[in-house]
Amino acid sequence: MLNQSPSDTLDRLVGLLPQSQTYAARREREKVVFATQGSEDGLFDPALPGLSVEERLYVALYACLLTPSPDLAAEYESRLRKLGANLQTILLIQKSDIQGIGNARLEAILNFTHTLITKPISADKMALSALPKAGLSTPEVVTLAQLFHLCLTKFDWLQACVP
Amino acid sequence: MSAPIHINGFTNDTLGWKAWLDVVQLAQATPAQMSVLEESHPKAKESDYYLFLVHQPEILRQRSLAFNAIMYAPGGLSRAERELASTVVSKINGCVYCASVHAQRFEQLAKRQDVIEQVFEEPHGAGTSDRERAIVDFSIELTLNPDHVNVSSIQKLKDAGLQNSEILDLIHSIAIFAWANRLMLNLGEPIFPSV
Repeated sequence: MLNQSPSDTLDRLVGLLPQSQTYAARREREKVVFATQGSEDGLFDPALPGLSVEERLYVALYACLLTPSPDLAAEYESRLRKLGANLQTILLIQKSDIQGIGNARLEAILNFTHTLITKPISADKMALSALPKAGLSTPEVVTLAQLFHLCLTKFDWLQACVP
Repeated sequence: MSAPIHINGFTNDTLGWKAWLDVVQLAQATPAQMSVLEESHPKAKESDYYLFLVHQPEILRQRSLAFNAIMYAPGGLSRAERELASTVVSKINGCVYCASVHAQRFEQLAKRQDVIEQVFEEPHGAGTSDRERAIVDFSIELTLNPDHVNVSSIQKLKDAGLQNSEILDLIHSIAIFAWANRLMLNLGEPIFPSV
């Protein structure tokens, strides 16, 4: 089980190499390393029903920009580009012009993301109910909720790592 | 036994939690959903929180693996100190439910509640020792200004006597509550005991 996880997103973005102290420290909690990467793999798995991979990556991009976590934002932007996502949509998200996207479903998703990342205390039952109204099923809401929380967990990590 | 605390809307009471959207009914749960519930928490099948998140079983599985490894693994930062960090983050984010659960766990592990009262009163500057104050300060900083955390933030923890492995556990505890708070705060609401 002691693999080197070359595909570990956090190691790659922070630039943690197996010889570094921080890399070694992370491995003292290997289950956390695997579950963190496992969460990301699961959340962006094309087989996961509900939100499209593109929608999930838009959420991840926006959440990272708001936090702010520029390195992770660049990571998700590059995944969107590889996927052939709409460049205009990426640009509008970067400008935080969510209305300009002109897609009611994506607008509801990204507005919810904005509230949750910047001021979680202000998101009430009304804020949540905007999602089913925009056509999201309950499993899709669960994916969304888990998705940007994962991003947030990861940002905290990135910022605090001292390679 | 711990004395009841009610400060600024925060409490160490035992609260319930109710989801705002439909939860998975046990009778309709798939085998995959049942197995994830069973491995997540001893009472997951009675909990709206788990029954809601199990709409996406594989994601809940990974989340539970992370949560349990972060909060319960032996060694490293003491479990009481992990619970303290979780309580501070929950207070800062405004999650009354999370704060109540983890305040209780801190009290059970540490056999005292002084620092919990301080945190509910005002997290900034809370702590009954230099070490505790360093843990509280760092929890606040990483929660409110993750982009400001740097080498000197980590150095302050080292100066207060934390080892690298303890710092790692602290970061994990803070980070998982950035996530947990937003699930609990925004997908449902606490239920207060009737008085």
